[in-house]
Amino acid sequence: MSGTVSGDREQMESVDCDTSRQEDSVQERLLDFTAFCLTAAHGLAREPASYGPMRLVDAMFRALELFKEVGVEHPGLEHALEVVRRSRWQATEDPDGFAKALDQAIHRLVDLTLRS
Amino acid sequence: MDVLEAIRTRRSTRAFRAEPLSDDVIRAVEDAVLHSPSGSNAQDFHAILVRDQQQIRRIRRFAPGLAGTPAALVVMCSNRVEARRRGGRDGEAALRLINTGIATAYILLATHGLGVGNCPVRSFHRGAVKRLLGLPPEVDPELLIALGYPAAPPRSKKSKPVTEVVSYERYGQR
Repeated sequence: MSGTVSGDREQMESVDCDTSRQEDSVQERLLDFTAFCLTAAHGLAREPASYGPMRLVDAMFRALELFKEVGVEHPGLEHALEVVRRSRWQATEDPDGFAKALDQAIHRLVDLTLRS
Repeated sequence: MDVLEAIRTRRSTRAFRAEPLSDDVIRAVEDAVLHSPSGSNAQDFHAILVRDQQQIRRIRRFAPGLAGTPAALVVMCSNRVEARRRGGRDGEAALRLINTGIATAYILLATHGLGVGNCPVRSFHRGAVKRLLGLPPEVDPELLIALGYPAAPPRSKKSKPVTEVVSYERYGQR
């Protein structure tokens, strides 16, 4: 449960599969994002510790999508974050594995930083 | 689908096709709620089936644990006053939540048996959902159940060894 209630907590592979997004105004998405952050922060005080990294990463992906929608992108980010996107399901089931994926993404960001 | 098969094969679904649920599924949800057992037959739960996408969108906004865009949500609520009246103090403190959980399990299995993906969710802001649904003061939202036809096969689930979760005759005895 989330989380989800079942034993197979929060295993989705992608962060979201909302096909209605294109129809949403950016303002509505901004409300979605703000509410997500506030509600997640409120809930995390009572939820399993492993939900913290997961929610933070979800918030990051949501923020990046918002940036993208208003035309702000970085060409190297998709490669850097691909490993996190792929490992997202590990956040609650295998926190150490998820931490490794985060570490790998961070080093890819260091590569980007050193190249810039 | 055989009940045991449904129990063995159900997994949480977090990506849904944009396809409305059939009438059979709606009736299955109603049957699951109506025929679910409850302590003292209190039936101190209430299920709100939400199919309006605008309303689902509003609820999603305050439900970080809800993934994807389901065709419907079932908001499982418990009624504290009814639980106290029918089940006493234990009814209000604990049984109403157990009853709601049993009804939820019935819904999960009944809908899975019809090929519908589902996922129970507890990560949501209860006060926000209560206001969005116009719940009376004595009725609280306890769980959301996302329902929809799966867009992708769900991940497999790791179960604990049976020895950790089942004993015979005495705790820890196989």
